[in-house]
Amino acid sequence: MTMQSKTPSETQDREEGRGWTLPTSRRGFLAALAGAGAAISLGSKVAWANGEIGFWAKDLTNEQLIHLYTTIQRIRWFERTCVDKMLTEPGYRGYNHFYVGQEAVATGVSAALKNTGGVMEADLVYSTHRPSGHAIAKGVEVKKMAAEYEFRATGLNKGYAGEMHIADKSVGFMGADGMIGPGYVIATGSAFAIRARGSKQVVVNYGGDGTYATPHFHSALNNAALLNLPFIYVLENNLYHQYAHYSYSCPMKDIAIAAKTYGIPGVVVDGQDVIQVYNAAKQAVERARAGEGPTLIEAKTYRYYNHWGAPGAKPGELGAFGYDPLAITSFRPEREVRAWMARDPVDISRNTLIHWGVLDRAKADEIETAARAEMVEAFAWADKQPLGKPEDGLKHVFVEGTVLPRQFG
Amino acid sequence: MARKSFMYSVLEAVQYEMQKDPNMIWIFELTPPVASTPGKPVINLEREFGRKRVVNTGIDEMWMAACVLGAGLAGSRAATYIPYQGNAMCFQILQNHAGKLHHMTGGQAQMPVVFVLEMTGQTPGFAGQHSDYEIDTYYAHIPGLKTVIPSNPTDAKGMMVSALRDPNPVAFLYAAGLRDMIEDVPDDPYTTPLDKAAIRSEGSDITIVGSGGGMPEVLKATEQLQKQGMKVETIDLRSLKPMDTETLVTSVQKTKRLLAVDQSYYTLGPAAEVIARVAENVDGARFKRIAFPDAPPPASPEMFLWMRPNADHIVAAAKKLAA
Ligand SMILES: Cc1ncc(C[n+]2csc(CCOP(=O)(O)OP(=O)(O)O)c2C)c(N)n1
Repeated sequence: MTMQSKTPSETQDREEGRGWTLPTSRRGFLAALAGAGAAISLGSKVAWANGEIGFWAKDLTNEQLIHLYTTIQRIRWFERTCVDKMLTEPGYRGYNHFYVGQEAVATGVSAALKNTGGVMEADLVYSTHRPSGHAIAKGVEVKKMAAEYEFRATGLNKGYAGEMHIADKSVGFMGADGMIGPGYVIATGSAFAIRARGSKQVVVNYGGDGTYATPHFHSALNNAALLNLPFIYVLENNLYHQYAHYSYSCPMKDIAIAAKTYGIPGVVVDGQDVIQVYNAAKQAVERARAGEGPTLIEAKTYRYYNHWGAPGAKPGELGAFGYDPLAITSFRPEREVRAWMARDPVDISRNTLIHWGVLDRAKADEIETAARAEMVEAFAWADKQPLGKPEDGLKHVFVEGTVLPRQFG
Repeated sequence: MARKSFMYSVLEAVQYEMQKDPNMIWIFELTPPVASTPGKPVINLEREFGRKRVVNTGIDEMWMAACVLGAGLAGSRAATYIPYQGNAMCFQILQNHAGKLHHMTGGQAQMPVVFVLEMTGQTPGFAGQHSDYEIDTYYAHIPGLKTVIPSNPTDAKGMMVSALRDPNPVAFLYAAGLRDMIEDVPDDPYTTPLDKAAIRSEGSDITIVGSGGGMPEVLKATEQLQKQGMKVETIDLRSLKPMDTETLVTSVQKTKRLLAVDQSYYTLGPAAEVIARVAENVDGARFKRIAFPDAPPPASPEMFLWMRPNADHIVAAAKKLAA
């Protein structure tokens, strides 16, 4: 695999030497995933921001930079807490399409967006079947998300959604989507409305490498380009669509070159480096706000876990969430998994900020500890929330009234 | 004879037809054509026939369906396995092309193709898009498209052989909830008709009609009712189009009571069709139907499992009808 990042600096902080004090450290997590402790031993690599883009995150205050790191940690620990529950709590029922490993993408993108004000003011994000990172970065309340993952009546969507359909209009998070395809075209519809009403909002749509094959990918880009819409397609290339390598669905190495066909910018970024992602997103957002049209951003990234996980997996068995029995066409080689883990977005952001003098180690540890505590608390809160009433399934079909319970004859 | 899963039985049929016909192709997306069963060689169509004939494609169900249709038009037999998530993505190809081309071309176009359409059916917790109860109605409504829905491995194998040999396009509805159902299935290829319902139990008090992924609950209810002394005639539709009116009518002429059970949404589901056909032909019968409410499936298992028709619902409705 090739990374588009600049050569890693040799003068970076060598963070791998630091003491790991957390009881279940990130390192422990990586080691458990990879099966051995080699994951972080190659020397952490600060991927320098892509100089050609030119922002260098210069417009971000220290506080905002720390917010990036905090967000990455919050996503990581949301998922880890969820995973822990799946593996250890027999009563837990939530499932998750994992985002661990890809945190820098959602974080960098949302940092360039307006995340308050509802559908008429906020920038809008259309998510995928892998929504937790996108949602958290957009500002969705995590305890309600945790409650939704377990189908609680007080969850984000009152138990109707589960993980794959979470939505929160109040922050412009238009929702997860279990389908691969239609969401991208729908997103361009929102962008069309925004252009028509002349607001300064932009629409971001996430999609995986697998989406390249869908007719919807091409329709979205074509129409967004034709109509000059404020639309940004963030393609998270984690190398696999479900169980198959992306070379099974896309004949190009860089999917971003597809943008050329539509006469719009196509940018490849290192999806492990939040600063690079931010820079690319920032530029795309400014273009869109200025009425200059859509951008395709391809973030090269990787998910550490398998496609998805649900309760009932046994730690260590079939690699828990590292292996999928349906993955017959192409397995993810362990070397590949390890190579990507060696460029962990948490480490890269941490090292960058320490190197820039924005954070010190103590503060970075503190942020991690707090993120973890927040998520443990959020899931504990979710656990105590009431379940939905069976009859409620007949509500919300139309805006008014309920439908009849036809299962009784 | 050996114990085989639903999946194994289907692939055994495909494997046999592909061995016989070197032109036949199979396109899949994320359900690999691989299955095993104790004491038998593993079936792996991709390995056996190579990537020229068996291809794992990108996420584009519209293309998958169109591809096999095009292959059929060009004179090759072809089949595709569309996973449940992508099911409706290919709808247009089935509705406007597969169902119409033979007719529109004055009988010229031939499409010996099979669309294996997976349906989730049984899954609480996934909500809306990933647990559409059954969307059999949509396909059964298309003229020119045979639509079958086997409910056990034995029928699945026989009907797959028939579907592959049929000169017409066939929607082979595959209830994902039955994927792991295992029973003794003959090893040799055999055919099961694509237009005949199966009588699963004979009785004179009431006729209960079900299909596909709903049959296990229908059979459970049948057993419970029989234990309580009711003589139940249970019919498994197997084919939604053409629908076996004769078997339905003959049965209700005897029982005068018909309970039609759907896994799909209530309005315009197969149960409505079953009742209409019988009502047109049998005087003095009483009718009832059970279906999933006209609501999208909610994620919450509490809601979903309450809404999903089950054996208890069927037993209660049968008793009401017989009273
Ligand atoms: C229309 C449709 N077809 C198939 C699926 C099944 N499916 C769910 S996720 C997935 C792979 C998606 O791959 P990609 O877009 O690369 O995202 P990733 O899972 O790698 O993040 C597939 C095929 C689906 N959800 N929708």
